[in-house]
Parts: sequence; structure tokens; C-alpha cells
Amino acid sequence: MEKQPTILGIDLGTTNSLGAIMKDAGPEVIADADGESLVPSVIAFDSEGKVTVGTAARAHAVENPLATVFSIKRLMGRSLSDVREDLTHLPYAVVAGPRGSACVNVNGQVRAPQELSAIVLREIQSRAAAALGEQITRAVITVPAYFDDAQRHATREAGQLAGLEVLRIVNEPTAAALAYGLDRQTDATIAVYDLGGGTFDVSILHVSEGVFQVLSTNGDTRLGGDDFDRELIDLITGEIRERFGREITFGPATRQALRNFAEAAKIRLSQRETADVRIDLGDGRVYTRAITREEFEARIQSHVDHTLEHCRRALSDAKLTASEIDEVILVGGSTRIPLVRRAVEELFQRRPYTAIDPDRVVALGAAVQAGILAGRKRDTLLLDVTPLSLGIETLGGAMGKLIMRNSTIPRTATETFTTSVDGQTSVDINILQGERELAEDCRLLGKFQLTGIPPMPAGAPRIQVTFLIDANGILNVSAREERSGRAAAVQVTPAAGLTKEEIGRVVKESVRHARRDMTAHRLIDVRNESHRVLGAIDKALANAADILTDEQRRKLDAAVERVRTLMDTNDDPDELYRAMRDANDAAGPLTRYQMDEVLSKTFRGKSAKDLDPRIGTEE
Amino acid sequence: MDKNEPSRVTAPAKCSRCHAEIPNPVVCDYCKSVNPGAAVMDYFTLLGVPETFEIDESELRRRYLTLSRHAHPDFHVQEDPEVQQLHLRVSSTLNEAYQTLRDPASRAAYLIECLGGKSMAEDKSVPDGFLATMMMMREELEEACQDGNTEECKRLGKVLRTQHDGLLRRIGELFEQYQQAVACRAVTRGLLAEIRQQVNAVSYVKKLLSRVEEK
Repeated sequence: MEKQPTILGIDLGTTNSLGAIMKDAGPEVIADADGESLVPSVIAFDSEGKVTVGTAARAHAVENPLATVFSIKRLMGRSLSDVREDLTHLPYAVVAGPRGSACVNVNGQVRAPQELSAIVLREIQSRAAAALGEQITRAVITVPAYFDDAQRHATREAGQLAGLEVLRIVNEPTAAALAYGLDRQTDATIAVYDLGGGTFDVSILHVSEGVFQVLSTNGDTRLGGDDFDRELIDLITGEIRERFGREITFGPATRQALRNFAEAAKIRLSQRETADVRIDLGDGRVYTRAITREEFEARIQSHVDHTLEHCRRALSDAKLTASEIDEVILVGGSTRIPLVRRAVEELFQRRPYTAIDPDRVVALGAAVQAGILAGRKRDTLLLDVTPLSLGIETLGGAMGKLIMRNSTIPRTATETFTTSVDGQTSVDINILQGERELAEDCRLLGKFQLTGIPPMPAGAPRIQVTFLIDANGILNVSAREERSGRAAAVQVTPAAGLTKEEIGRVVKESVRHARRDMTAHRLIDVRNESHRVLGAIDKALANAADILTDEQRRKLDAAVERVRTLMDTNDDPDELYRAMRDANDAAGPLTRYQMDEVLSKTFRGKSAKDLDPRIGTEE
Repeated sequence: MDKNEPSRVTAPAKCSRCHAEIPNPVVCDYCKSVNPGAAVMDYFTLLGVPETFEIDESELRRRYLTLSRHAHPDFHVQEDPEVQQLHLRVSSTLNEAYQTLRDPASRAAYLIECLGGKSMAEDKSVPDGFLATMMMMREELEEACQDGNTEECKRLGKVLRTQHDGLLRRIGELFEQYQQAVACRAVTRGLLAEIRQQVNAVSYVKKLLSRVEEK
């Protein structure tokens, strides 16, 4: 059988990202040459626009706080007003992009979160390509289960910008369950508690004979380890002001340094009872402090209580009690915190299961889903749900629900609309997602306009609109006027995502960038090759310059001179390549002579004329 | 759910692709291709269970999962867009069908319309005295919530749950009577209207219950 191109599973996290693939023996994470598989989701730009990703970018965060972007997942598919609370904590500049969407301004250039996430995705993609020795063009990307339509859209767009065909957006807790539940034989009801760097999800699943059925999901897309860091930062900055004066201000670099201190202290407090913090503020002012685990736990208690509240809601939606859960799985780096483990254990009255590394389990599950899509796992059936109810704004600003939360996807709902004025040819509809009764309390996914309605008396047209939530949890809308049978055009304007045109523009730009990058790459390669060729010619001349005729020598010198000039001044790789080839050809008599010399010593009687005379450039 | 009137589509006798005779209306037993007509079948036919209120829930689940294994979009991502669209349509109908038939109250509401009764939009009436009871319950509930009296909230929740279960039992009895009436060719119109009222009452109770549970 022909080998299918690999589908890459990607966990695009708030703090770290990584890729995994499905092998015959099971899912496996992609590691770099040093065996490291996690790529910090951090992107740094230098003043010349050069981009670094991952560990290298993270290392520059303190010296270059305004141009180092992290926690970009918190901005995906959000408007600037959605993320206002986060802004004081982010050293880089968040600005309003198209339609008020949250974008990042780095060195004067405004970039959408999709573009920035695409940079991380491209890094994962190229690591996988290097590890597997093949081009990666298709992927499964995970998102928090509680991501809404706009956030899912944004994630898929990021994949497209990275040149990936995103075959499926899969929910992180579901992916974790897939990674865990693969080999299990008996029926079980499981709860997945997923507390990551920026998001919290809980999902309740029923697993039996290869069927993974999600019963309910709940969560908060703005609750995670970042918030615990902030608690520590607030503690430290508060005390610094108390000790050294209220007027002390914290610049971006200091904030970034504080973030690193806080994160390190948090991690340490999962291992030990105290963590020492020492910050040199200059001018002989040194802040030292031993933070105890007890203090830390008191600070994060309310956040942890919040997660338990979501767990209870998920249980209630699944019509189950905590005691009916057979197994609890912990996912995400923040579940290493002892308080979190204790709280989960107390709620479910059982010790949580942690056999797989909580940082890697989601990527492994994404690889399993990739295996299902590739047709390699026909025995596994995954039935996921939509986390939020979908509806439309009805008269009086109410939310009219069409698809209830926790409905199995894919799922459709149809609704018939009509006109309110004679001859009206278009109808505006607001699509909402959320649980509240009033439209203004729900998230506006977008407005869509039904156009091309044949002019009729008010109330006569019957426009049937179909809302389809696909297996990615993403909404698709189509419409048909029933009397005329005509398809009505549906133009959805996303509330925070990019329009098709904007995606097109960014893709074009990134293709242009890619071409420029490729040109630069090729130029470097050809220059290196030219160096090698010139060196070889010099060596040959030193050995056997006398065998050349004057004419041949003149030709060779001219060709070599041209390569030298082009190497210094030219940046067209093709022109340099041609010059190098000419020099190589001009050196033909020399090389043939040298090879004959060598060959006559080894293979007597055979002429080098039958062999390739060139010094060896690649076409 | 109320908006989607059940549609009657008789299952085709032959598979549209391999032309084999097919006993299963959704998936051809021979070539395993999904029947495009499945997306518009009524839910009982689609899931292959008898059109009655009392159903075997584990059998319903088994059939739903078997059919989903053929129709789910996960197994067709590499195929033509039209094929993908077909499976998306059939799969979403299966999900809706299963959710509708699994829950006794929504199954009853759906069955009424299948049998030619009125939808909730057409007939919003409830049994005599029901509204008065509900108004009283709602007031008590709001009072208890305002006072933060969780014990009282719990008690009211229990009362509502009992009422909910009682209504469902009554609905079951009425559907049984309906079947007997059909069997001896008696008049059934009034029975369906009575069931409609009981089903409407259940949906009121459910709404109140969900409020209690949110608290």
C-alpha cells in the first residue's frame, strides 16, 4: 500500500506547544535533536524583524519585553474589550485590529493573534518535517473544549496561515481521554480535569468498546497557571512598594522579570514547602522573601474553587453525581500543584490518574485523532459536544436557543425567517453563543445578512436558515427561500475573527515572505558552493597551471573574477549560480587533467573523459 | 425540536450505489454506503426502533452507535466534498434523532407529531389547575432563593422532580391507551390532545427544575 502523508497532531498551548504523530505502536511526540519536545509558545522579534520562536525567544523576554509575545492564546478570537483585564499583565502592546479584534503591536507592526500562533505552528511543523523527513501539510489542532466559535475559527485560521490544512479542531480534554482510553477494555465514566497555562476545561465522558462519548463539558477560557503567577506577582509588587516606597513603578522589563520569578517560585512550591525570591532593585535595594506553600495556596484557593464549580456544573449537565465517576484524569501543567490535586481528589472522592505526562497527553491524543482521520483506527468512534448553546437574537433582545449546549456534534438546526416590511429584500440576523437569556449577555458570533430575497408582501417570504455546527465545533450557515426555492446568500461578518479577504491578504504576505526567505536561503547555499568551487580551482591551479593554454587561462581567470564580484555584490542566487557553473566549465581542462592523474594511479588505462568533468555542483 | 416536523420517507428498496436490496434504510449492508435519503427520515425509522413511547434504551443506543460508525465525518475526511457533506448531514440527523428519542419527554413530544397530533406551537394548553400549581411553586422558589434558603430550594427541587416523574408515567399510560384505541379502531384525537397537555406540562416543570439546579 502507498504510504499516506502523515497527519500531524498539534497541541497549541498557552505556555507550551508540541506535535505528535500516530505510529503503528501508538502515538508518539516529536522531539528535537536534544530530545526536547515542548516548544514554549513564545515569539520574539528583533529590530530587523527577525523572528525567533520557543526557548530562544523566551530567553530574550526580559531584555526585549515589548517585542516578545507570549500567552497569545488568550487573545485568539477575542476583541480588545474582552481582554481588557489581561492587558495590565502583558508587557507587549495589545491594540484594536479589524472590527475591534485584539491584535499585537510589535515594533510598530500590528499582527493578529492568528499570525503569531501561525509562527509557533510553523515551528512545530518544521520540527516534525525534519524528524520524519517528509513535508507536513495536514494537521489536527487541539483547542480548549470551552473555546467558542470565534476562538475555534481563529485557531483554524492560524493553521491555514502556517500552510496547514486543518483536518480537525479537537477538544483538549477529549484528546487526553483518547490518549488514555485507547487500550481500556471495560466501560467507564471518566472526568478529565484540564488546567493549563491559560485555560480550564472539565469534560465528562463515557468510554466503552472504542466509543468515546462526551456527555458534557464546562470550563473557563481565562483561568489557568498564568493567573496563579499573577497572584504571586501581586504579592511581590505589593510588598516591594510597602518596603521601598509606593512611588516605585514597574517597567515592562521588570514586569517580565517578575513573571519569571513568580513562575519559578510557583513551580518550586509544587515540590517544596517554601520558595526563596530575591530581586535586586538597584541602588542597594534588595527584596528577599521566602514564600510558603501555605501562602501560595491561600492566594490561589478562589481560582481552584472556581474550577470545582465548573466540575459540578459539568456533572449536573451529564446527570451524574461525583461518586458515579469511575476515573479522574489530570491534564495540563497546573495540575502538578498539590492544592489542585487535593481539591480534585476531594470532589470526586478518588485519587486522580496521572500515568501520562500532563504536558504531553493532549498532543498524544491529537495524534490518535489524526490516526482516526487517516483511516488507521476504524474501531474508534469519537462523539464530542458543543460547549455552548447556539441561538439567534429574537425580538426584544432575547436569546432564542436553537442548539443546546452539550449537544453531540455535528448538529443542525433550522429556523424560518420572514420579512417585516413589504418588498424587503434582506434580513439581518445576529448569531449568539452562550447560556444567558438576554442577547446582550451572550457572545455575538457575527451578524449575517440574508440577501436576494424576492420582493414580496411583508411576512410572505419563508427563508429557511440552516445552522450547522460541524465536527470541529464550528458554525456553518446556509439559507433558502422556500417559495422561490432560491438559495439566499448568507454573508457572515465575524465579530472578532478575520474575514476571508484578511486571511487571503495575510496568506499572500506570508507566501511572499516565504519566497523571500527561500531566496535568502538559496543565496547562502550558492555562495557557500561558490566558495568551495573557487577554492578547488585555486588548488588545481597551484598544482597544474602549466597545462592550460593562454586562451584557457584567460577564460578561467575572467570566469573566476566574475564569481568573486557576484559573490560580494549580487543577491540573485540564479545569476551567481550561472557564473559559478561557467567558472567550473572553464576549469574543465584542469580538473580532467587532475582526475587523469589520480585515476592513472588507481585505474590504469581508463580515461577520465568518460567521467563527469565538473567539480561537482548540484543542478 | 418542535420546529422539525417529522417527515415521512419510505426507505428505498435498493441501494443507490450498488443497487443491492437493502433491509437497512440508512446503510447498505453490501457496499456500506450511506443512503442520502437518511437525512430526511423520521427518527424512529432512521434509528430502526418501533414507533412507540416505550422503547428499549440500550437497543436505541446500540443502533445509534452502529449507524454513527458509518456516518460520522471522522471516517470520511479524505473523500470528495459531496460525500463529506452527505455524511455530515446524516451524522447530524443521527445525533439529533438520538437526543430526541433518548429523553422520554422529547420522545413523547416527537411521537405526538408523528401520530398526527398538534405541535407545542399549535397547542400550548396544559392540564386544568396545572398553571396555578406552577405559579405557586415559582413564587415559593423565588422566595427561597432570595432568602438564600438552600434547604427549601432542595425540597422544592424534590417536589418538582416527583411531579416530573408523575407526568411521564401518565404520558406512558396515555400512549398505551392510544395504542389500544388504535388496535380496536376507536377514536384517538382526544387522547393525543391530552398527551399534548401532559407533555407541555413536563416542559414547564423542566424549565423550573433547571432553574433550581442552576442555583
